[in-house]
Amino acid sequence: MATVSVGNARPRRAQGRVVAITGACTYLGTELIKRLEEDRRYAKVLVLDVKAPSILAAGATKARFFPIDLTQPTIDGEIAALLQREQVDTVVHGAFLSHPTHATEWAHEFEDVGTMHVMNACAAAGPARVVMVSTTMAYGAHPENPNFLDERAELRGHQDSRFINDKVRAEKQAARFAREHPHVQVATLRFAPILGPTINNLHTRFFSRVTAPVMAGHDPLMQFVHEQDAAWALKRAVDSDAVGPFNIVGKGVLPYTTVLALMGRVPVPLPFLLARSIAKALWATQIVSTAPSLLDYLLYVCVADGTRATRDLGFTARFSIKRTILDFVGASPEDGATDVASSFA
Amino acid sequence: MPPDDTDPIADDLGAPDASHAPDGDWPSMSDDVYVGGDAELASGDSYDPYPAAADTDDGAEQRELERRVDEGRTPVYPLDDRRRLPLPGLWRRWRAFAMRGRADMVDDFGRDPIATARWEWVLDFLYAKWFRTEVRGLEHVPAHGRAILIANHAGSLPYDSAMLLHAIRRDHPARRDVRPLVEDAVFHLPWLGPLMNRIGGVRACPENAERLLEKDELIAVFPEGVKGMSKLWRDRYRLQRFGRGGFVKLALKTGAPIIPVAVIGAEEALPLLGRVTWFAKSVGLPYVPVTPTFPWLGPAGLLPLPSKWKIAFGPPIDLAGEYGAAAAEDRLLVGRLAEQIRGQVQAMVDDLRR
Repeated sequence: MATVSVGNARPRRAQGRVVAITGACTYLGTELIKRLEEDRRYAKVLVLDVKAPSILAAGATKARFFPIDLTQPTIDGEIAALLQREQVDTVVHGAFLSHPTHATEWAHEFEDVGTMHVMNACAAAGPARVVMVSTTMAYGAHPENPNFLDERAELRGHQDSRFINDKVRAEKQAARFAREHPHVQVATLRFAPILGPTINNLHTRFFSRVTAPVMAGHDPLMQFVHEQDAAWALKRAVDSDAVGPFNIVGKGVLPYTTVLALMGRVPVPLPFLLARSIAKALWATQIVSTAPSLLDYLLYVCVADGTRATRDLGFTARFSIKRTILDFVGASPEDGATDVASSFA
Repeated sequence: MPPDDTDPIADDLGAPDASHAPDGDWPSMSDDVYVGGDAELASGDSYDPYPAAADTDDGAEQRELERRVDEGRTPVYPLDDRRRLPLPGLWRRWRAFAMRGRADMVDDFGRDPIATARWEWVLDFLYAKWFRTEVRGLEHVPAHGRAILIANHAGSLPYDSAMLLHAIRRDHPARRDVRPLVEDAVFHLPWLGPLMNRIGGVRACPENAERLLEKDELIAVFPEGVKGMSKLWRDRYRLQRFGRGGFVKLALKTGAPIIPVAVIGAEEALPLLGRVTWFAKSVGLPYVPVTPTFPWLGPAGLLPLPSKWKIAFGPPIDLAGEYGAAAAEDRLLVGRLAEQIRGQVQAMVDDLRR
């Protein structure tokens, strides 16, 4: 594949920016399209996904759908041709799974190899900016984690969770791409677990059950970001010029058992070893699709520090963790639970 | 930072007056949303961990986000029914029940104001009645600003960090909150670790300590670590190696003064006759203590004996002023300073025993 020298990165044109989005059917992708539709600085939005998101049928004017399956072997050439033809200046790579799946090989092809395809295409087409979606879970829940992990912390992932490790590998590819193409701005947004009234992901499914396992005697601090905060941060990252990894986190932390209590879930204390064998059995029999290794996140703290996003991206979460939780269970704002960050000032 | 008068999390829900808690009177039992009582942070804490936003915001962004949240809640996108539990009345009661004794808001490092208040009387009983603690030199602890307390460590369980915390909260004129740094072996103990965390303990690591000192908090470090806690009775009041001098580096880097502290009595509260290590590792403990009462009396054997305690604070040592922040890289100097401070604490301990 012919690699265009990075010096050719196209300057942003006066008539409006052109954004290509992979993973447009995810919550963040759809919300980003919505916001780009409203923003006059953006001329065109290329929607790359296997199926068109419903927002296109709902009267989107700038968005155009291109069927792209990231698991196809030669898809990188197709994407590169598309990026060049449409003069795309910003690529948003958000095609990641929000929930572990039993189809681990397919997930690997989709997340890890799919990211490789996107990065290859970017290397060939040379957009001015690449924004990638990641998660703070990539830091991993480890006993020696400090209370706040900043962006310099190593992405340790988890020894036997492919769901997490595929994201770590994708991030490493993005970092390598950024090193090799210093003229392309690469920003990676590591989102804390996203909760909210409409989003559907690993955490919303976990917390939708009436009961939730608690590792007996352990109660780590947890952190969430509101779905609207997350979407706003992604839009800001597309707008801005800031590069590098950013933790996108909500305001405040709460112990896990307090989170469950606020949601009204019934905690089921289990010794860790028993819980792990139960989870392994449930995973092996494919009754649940929550990987047993994720139990570590109920044992050890994995909370990230969002100072860098505040400083360089101008993003500060507006919703506290409590408001996020109440929004998730649908207990606000008709119950009077407004929680406005501006009242902090 | 001054305490938040307008605590948005508690206020917006029509939180009851803070003075009601924690008497067991929960006026919010029938309230749908407000659960968990008030969440009042002690002075010196700030709930908002972030500096001011980069742009000056006139609230337009906030209104925009609120509008979008409302939009997402229209009947076109109904809330997933599984997220609401069935039987709303029962659910509401359960939430209020589950939130008793805990706040719906903790500080950055996980201290829960309601849980702290709930355990206060236990600490006070141990401090005043059981151990009859005598405190000297409290005037050396600054009323505000960062500082590092360096204390000796003993007694199988971290009763000494709890007593040090309580001494300053109770008897110091500024009633400062100490954040004791808790070694991993204790911090990850089931039940005890989360409890220490709720009442103010923080996992001991350089990142956490630096972050606390940057916020001008008062931290307590026990540089002997587990070695100090697992001191045998025959080695009592003989201070162990002071770690790798991490606290010296911390003081040099952050410019925080070091206040040496000697604690007497922890050794007798749970005299450690022996340590069993051969099976402890497999259950995740550093060792299983053998004391006159444990394990013979079961968990009750972990209750401390009523020894007489004395705590002495020494004058602050300003390392950064003397050596400069760059000295943190000088390993030899760091080692020497750590040893010097260990000698000082040892001398204070010997002095107290006389």
